[in-house]
Amino acid sequence: MSRAGAVGRSTGSMLGRIYAVALNTFRWAIRHRFLIAVLIVSAGVMLFALVLGQMSLHQEQRVAIDVALGGTSFFGCITAMVLGSLLLYTEVQRRTIHTMLAKPIERHELLLGRYAGMAASLTLLVAVSAVMMAGLFWLQDVPFTAATAKSLILTWVEVLVVAAVAAFFSSFSSPVLSGVFTAGIWLVGRATDELRAAVESAASPVIRAACRAALYAVPDLHLLQVSGSTLDGVEVSVHGDFVSWSYVAAAAGHGALYVGVLLALAVVIFARRDFL
Amino acid sequence: MSAPAADHVIEVRDLAKVYHTPFSRRRVVALDGVSFSVEPGEIFGFVGPNGAGKTTTIRILMGLIRPSQGSASLFGLPVPSRAARARIGFLPEAPYFYEYLTVGELLDLVGRLFGLDRRARRRRADELIDVVGLTRARKQPLKNYSKGMLQRAGIAQALVGDPELVVLDEPTSGLDPLGRREVRQIVLALRDAKKTVFFSSHILADVEAIADRVAILVGGKLYEVGRVSELVDRKVISTALILHVPAADGVAAAAAALQPRCQQIERRGDELELEIGADGDVDEILAEARALGARVVSVSPRHETLEDLFVRRARIAGSEGLGRARPQDDVTEEAAP
Repeated sequence: MSRAGAVGRSTGSMLGRIYAVALNTFRWAIRHRFLIAVLIVSAGVMLFALVLGQMSLHQEQRVAIDVALGGTSFFGCITAMVLGSLLLYTEVQRRTIHTMLAKPIERHELLLGRYAGMAASLTLLVAVSAVMMAGLFWLQDVPFTAATAKSLILTWVEVLVVAAVAAFFSSFSSPVLSGVFTAGIWLVGRATDELRAAVESAASPVIRAACRAALYAVPDLHLLQVSGSTLDGVEVSVHGDFVSWSYVAAAAGHGALYVGVLLALAVVIFARRDFL
Repeated sequence: MSAPAADHVIEVRDLAKVYHTPFSRRRVVALDGVSFSVEPGEIFGFVGPNGAGKTTTIRILMGLIRPSQGSASLFGLPVPSRAARARIGFLPEAPYFYEYLTVGELLDLVGRLFGLDRRARRRRADELIDVVGLTRARKQPLKNYSKGMLQRAGIAQALVGDPELVVLDEPTSGLDPLGRREVRQIVLALRDAKKTVFFSSHILADVEAIADRVAILVGGKLYEVGRVSELVDRKVISTALILHVPAADGVAAAAAALQPRCQQIERRGDELELEIGADGDVDEILAEARALGARVVSVSPRHETLEDLFVRRARIAGSEGLGRARPQDDVTEEAAP
C-alpha cells in the first residue's frame, strides 16, 4: 500500500465539494425509478393532449399549450416534492451520511450540494418536458412563442421553489410528513390571490389574520403561474398578452429569495442534528 | 491548511453522552467520563461488548454527534474539525454506501471531497480497488455487493485521502475467516506505512493479534487502557494436558483416578483432556498418568488472554450494574432521576 505522493492535505474549494455532492445527487435522481416514471407519464399526457385537441371544437392549439404547460408544472412540482422529501432522509436513514460527514466537508456544503444536484435533475426534467412540448406543438402546428418560453421559465422557478420547501422539511422530518407539508405549502402558495381576497373580505378577524400570516409565510407561487390572472388591471394569458421579461426576472428573484431563505433555515437545522 | 503540531493523534477527555428518549424522557447514558489518548503510529484497539459505547465515541470523534460533556480532539484540533477530517479515513460500522454507484464512482466521489484532481482520483481508485480485491466487481453497482465486498469497498473509500489516521468501526464484524485475515493484513500494512489505526471490535482475537494498545469499555465506562502485555497477567493460569490411553477400559479408570487433581476433565475417544489449575502439580499428575498406562500427547501452559481480562472486566461491570441494556443501540439505560 504505497503512499499516494500527490495526495496532500488541501481539500480543494468549497464549490468543488458542493459540486461533488451535487453530481452524486444528480446520479441518484436520474437513476431513481420515480423520475423515469414521471417522464413516461409526461410523454403520455402530451400524447393525450393530441386526442383532447381532436375532441375540442377547433381549439387544438389552446388545448396543446394548456395541457403541455399544465403537465410540465404539475409533474415537475410532484417530482420536486418526492425527491425533495427523500433528499436528506435517505442519506440519514441509510447512514450514508456517516461516511459523508466523516470526510472533509461541512454540513452546509453537503446540504447545498444535495439541493443543487436535485435542482439540476429537475431542470433536466423541465428541459425534457420542453422538448416533448416542442414536439407536440410541431404536430399541432402551434408556434413556440416567447410567451410559452416565459411560462416555462416561471414553471421551472416554481419547481425549484417547491423543491426547496421539500428539502427544508426533509432536514428535520420524515418523507411522508415532508411530502404532506410541502403539498400544503404548494396549494396555499398557488392560492395567494384568494388569500388576498380573504384578507380584504373575510368576516372573521381570525380568518383574516390567518390568511395574512399565510401570505407572509408561504412563497407566492401564483406569481409563477400567472396565466389567466389580472395584473395591474390587464388580463395576462399565455394565449395572448403575456407578462414582460422584467416580470419574469422579478418573479424569478422572488422565487430565488424563498429558495435562499429556506435553504438557510435547513442549514441551521441540519447543523444542530445528531446522526446516530 | 496547517494544523497545530500535536502529541496525540486522538485525545479524549472526560467524554460523556447522555440521551433522553423522546416521550418517556428516560435518561440514556451512552458514555460516562471516558478519557484516553492515541499516539502517532500505533494500532489502538477499542474493545467492548455490544452497547459499550464504542460507536458513540467514534461518532463523536467524527463529528456526527455532539458530546454532552468533555472534549475530544484530533491532531490537536477540537472536533468537529474539517481540517482534522482531511487527515482521517473512516470506515463506519456495517457500512452503507450509495447503492446506485459502482466502487469506482464511490472512490471518485470521495476523491473529489478530498480535492484530488482527475488523474490522482483515477490512479488512487485503481490502486485501492486492487488492494481490496474488487477489480473483478468494479463495474457492478454496490447494491449487488455482498457484505464482505461492501466492507472492502468501505476500507478502500477510507484510504482514498491517504489518511494519517484510519478509524475503523468493527472492521471484521460479519466477515468470514478469510475476510478477517485480509482486514488484519491491511491494518498491519497501514502500520508499516506509518499510519495510526484506531479500530473498535468485539472480536478479541483480532484485537490481541494486531493492537499495540487497547482500551476496554463496558457500559459506557473505560476500565483499562494500555499495552495488551501490560494489562493481561502473563503468569500461567492453568495447564492443559492431553493424554492417550490405549486400553479401552483404561480411559475411564484414568479419568476417575485423575479427576480429583483437575479443574476439568474431558473424555474424547481414547484421549483425555485435563485442565489443571495454577496451583496443581503438573509433574506429579504426569507421573501418575504414566503409571496408569497413559501416553502424554501434549502439555500446554495457558496464560491469561485479552478475552480473560475482558470477561473479568465485564463481570465487574455487571456487578456494578453496567449491563448490556440495549446492545444494538450502543447504549445503556438508567432510570430518570
